Amino acid sequence: MAHLDCEETKALVHEYLHNELLDDKQKDITTHLALCDSCEQEYDLEVYLNQVIQRSCDEAPPEQLADKVLRRIRDIHSH
Amino acid sequence: MVDSEPMASSKNTDSELKIRDFEQQALPLMQQLYGAALRWTRNPSDAEDLVQEAMAKAFVAWGQYQQGTNLKAWLYRIMTNTHINKYNKQQKDPYRGGLDDLEDWQLGNAESITATTTRSAELEALDHLPADIIRDSLLAIPEEFRMVVYYAVVDGLAYSEIAEIMGTPVGTVMSRLHRGKKLLRILLAEYAIEQGYLSAEKVAKNSEKS
Repeated sequence: MAHLDCEETKALVHEYLHNELLDDKQKDITTHLALCDSCEQEYDLEVYLNQVIQRSCDEAPPEQLADKVLRRIRDIHSH
Repeated sequence: MVDSEPMASSKNTDSELKIRDFEQQALPLMQQLYGAALRWTRNPSDAEDLVQEAMAKAFVAWGQYQQGTNLKAWLYRIMTNTHINKYNKQQKDPYRGGLDDLEDWQLGNAESITATTTRSAELEALDHLPADIIRDSLLAIPEEFRMVVYYAVVDGLAYSEIAEIMGTPVGTVMSRLHRGKKLLRILLAEYAIEQGYLSAEKVAKNSEKS
């Protein structure tokens, strides 16, 4: 197993969190995080920021939007 | 959902089927489209227009959609093109091509701020930030970065899907996500400092900005 240094680990934070790495790399990082407080904190922060962004961006569309879309489609359809 | 009133006549069953297919498959994705549209347009009424426009285009092109392929990505791609064509004159801006390089000075600044704060302090500060500040900060970062952050973080799309939607290589998606998140962290740290949730003493020394 290849050992990752902190710089490399921190650089891959988003790829790791979004599951974009090969399994081996993913495992290497998991191992590194278990042993390195500094990297773990960096990862925790990004995870938390992602959760905060998800929670904040949950606006529902206006109720009448579906109707408007349907009307428009039927309109196109009838022409 | 709209009541499924029987149409006046079923003169054309094929196109009735087309409407039904589209309603059943594409319409349920409207909420997600609206979420992304809000990030593109930055206001609810333009977002509504964009969704309607994109859905209308998608309906017209429905025959080209290959059943079984990624419908959400297909719709997002149509919406991206619709937005860029209709609302976005910046495409023609010559300086725009260099956007991915241009943000370095901003990022340098960003790093100097977050470098002076501890991760645990930043994490704690996030708890104090209201949702509208988070949303506004996301809207404040450049569009290409904003959309990649949105697609990856809120929609959970794979890099390859985002690349397809944005019409860029995967490497560009990756670097925009990194840069977008960094810029966002900086904006949020700046706000937290202003509000006193983060200590500003060390920051003043390192930040070139005002």
